[in-house]
Amino acid sequence: MAYLDLKNVTKSYSGVDVVHDFNLEIDKGSLVSFLGPSGCGKTTTLRMIAGFTKLDEGTILLDGEDITAVSPNCRDIGMVFQAYALFPNMTVRRNIAFGLLMKKMPKKESEKRVAHVLEMVRLQDAAERYPHQLSGGQQQRIALARALAVQPRVLLLDEPLSALDAEVRVVLRGEIRRIQSELAITTVYVTHDQEEALSISDKVVVMNRGVIEQIGTPEEIYRTPQTHFVATFIGTANQFFGKVSGGDAVICDHFTLLADDVKDFTDGQRVVVLVRPETIHVEPDQPKHDGWNIIPGEVETITFHGAVTRLGVNLHGQRVAADITVANTKPISLNQKIWLLFPPAACQVMAVDERS
Amino acid sequence: MKNPQKPLRETNKKVRPAGWQIVAVALFLFYMLLPIVSTYIFSVATRWDRTILPEGYTLEFYIRAFQTSYFIITLRNSLILSAATILVSLIVIVPTVYWVHTRLTGFKPLLDVLMILPFGIPTVVLALALVQVYNVPPLARSPILLIGAVVVYSMPFMYRPVSNAMQAIDALTLTEAGQSLGANVFQVLSKIIIPNILPGILSGSLLVFSTVFAEYTLTSLIVGAKFKTFPLLLVEYTRINGNIAAAFSVVSFTIAWLVSILILWVGTKGQNGATETIQAR
Ligand SMILES: Nc1ncnc2c1ncn2[C@@H]1O[C@H](COP(=O)(O)OP(=O)(O)OP(=O)(O)O)[C@@H](O)[C@H]1O
Ligand SMILES: [Mg+2]
Repeated sequence: MAYLDLKNVTKSYSGVDVVHDFNLEIDKGSLVSFLGPSGCGKTTTLRMIAGFTKLDEGTILLDGEDITAVSPNCRDIGMVFQAYALFPNMTVRRNIAFGLLMKKMPKKESEKRVAHVLEMVRLQDAAERYPHQLSGGQQQRIALARALAVQPRVLLLDEPLSALDAEVRVVLRGEIRRIQSELAITTVYVTHDQEEALSISDKVVVMNRGVIEQIGTPEEIYRTPQTHFVATFIGTANQFFGKVSGGDAVICDHFTLLADDVKDFTDGQRVVVLVRPETIHVEPDQPKHDGWNIIPGEVETITFHGAVTRLGVNLHGQRVAADITVANTKPISLNQKIWLLFPPAACQVMAVDERS
Repeated sequence: MKNPQKPLRETNKKVRPAGWQIVAVALFLFYMLLPIVSTYIFSVATRWDRTILPEGYTLEFYIRAFQTSYFIITLRNSLILSAATILVSLIVIVPTVYWVHTRLTGFKPLLDVLMILPFGIPTVVLALALVQVYNVPPLARSPILLIGAVVVYSMPFMYRPVSNAMQAIDALTLTEAGQSLGANVFQVLSKIIIPNILPGILSGSLLVFSTVFAEYTLTSLIVGAKFKTFPLLLVEYTRINGNIAAAFSVVSFTIAWLVSILILWVGTKGQNGATETIQAR
């Protein structure tokens, strides 16, 4: 049975559902992230779990207990905020001990606990400092330590790294993941940074306009997106619009694409075919490869990204991205006529989501 | 952060004020200090109407002032009135400002306007209106009614600093952080919010104290002789003996200073760096 269970959770502001019929089961000890564009309802959902926002409909169960009506200070759910929210009038030590004080924990035990979490976030030396004497990254570590000190049943983090610079962000997200798995604490992590979500989560919940688009492991989300929105939101995907023809092809304006998973669609249905740049091969001469898609185009842009080089290729007026690596491609120059080559398995066919 | 070169340049090349600037500042200080200084001198002067400086000096007026039967009573009444006003004001204002900054944010503009109103109502009108409306025993012309009136009259002085201090902290997020750690509303207020807005509370209390300690109109119109305060005694003596009145004034100044220092001292002792934190923002 799921440890944290959201059933039919709905919330609306002035008549508009910002979270709609949200159903999610979270296993004990796992890290689940909410990923989605700004305004899709991530924070609202998180705040309903924390108890700061009331539900319009639905229930939230924690360890089998209905906590929908329990006030936030009695839920035993820890929270880390985007703006750190350390208490400015208290030293780091007193900040961390605050939750223990509320629990009336004996002083000896409390001191031990504080020392332990400080060690966990590697800031033992900062105990007597005030929050304004710490850097942003250090403050967020303390906020994490403070939330963990009371050993909450669930830990919630709302874009905890978005106020920090890129380098600190990468280090700290690794630390969060390390500590989370060490303690095996059930965690919900809100972010709009897909790299962050994909790199630290057990499961990713992709949200759009208040509904769940897909729940899956980072790999599932990236490799087998279930909806048009997920496919375009995660990573880069080339989109070709067309109509289904037969059991294995999609007819686009200027060419026909062979694809594997067309069977679920009816003949003539309007669909979109998504192809990731890294699945496309680029050939200077016309290749021979039966059963693959082979389309001619002209190189318009070349952008060096380090490990790969991304080409912008003009395909009958449509710009298509294709990644090449130095190891497996001959040199390519601007305005060169080239051929794009990709297997039917690289084509994901989906119903068109007009909003994406 | 400031450019490190800037303070250096400032210390090396001291800017000398122009002559007219010195004159302007001197005139201003003279204008502000003259009444205070002359009150001090007048309270120890034997005779001061024929010469530029008094003809002689004496402590006689202080002795007579302290011997006045009403001296201690009025002083006590004034202190009671000020302390009670500060207390009621804090109890009303702090939670209100807190709720307006967290839950009822839509009401903040309305409250801001409401808090200017006491400045717009002449005290005489306020006093007479209150006396008429609350003309029922035991409220009628009682010290309780006076405290109520003075609380309203001095409310903006408490509201502004407290509201500004609340604005400077993210009250809602701090509250939620506290709640997620298991604190209830009272613990959030007493352990997180109030310590962080203490500078505002202190300056508000100081302003209210100095306003109420010198309050004359409301007191004389609402309670009059039934609850005589120090300003009433002072005004009474300006008609009897100017020198003794001057001595009373000096006592009044001194008490105001002492209480200010006391409040500031209690504040800095009790909060431990909160001011520093607020200032660091
Ligand atoms: N208290 C509120 N009153 C009215 N509307 C609100 C309130 N809180 C959130 N909303 C609306 O609900 C929608 C979802 O907001 P939410 O904060 O959950 O988005 P989010 O996914 O966290 O976005 P972001 O990535 O920008 O933080 C938004 O359109 C927002 O305007
Ligand atoms: Mg948000």
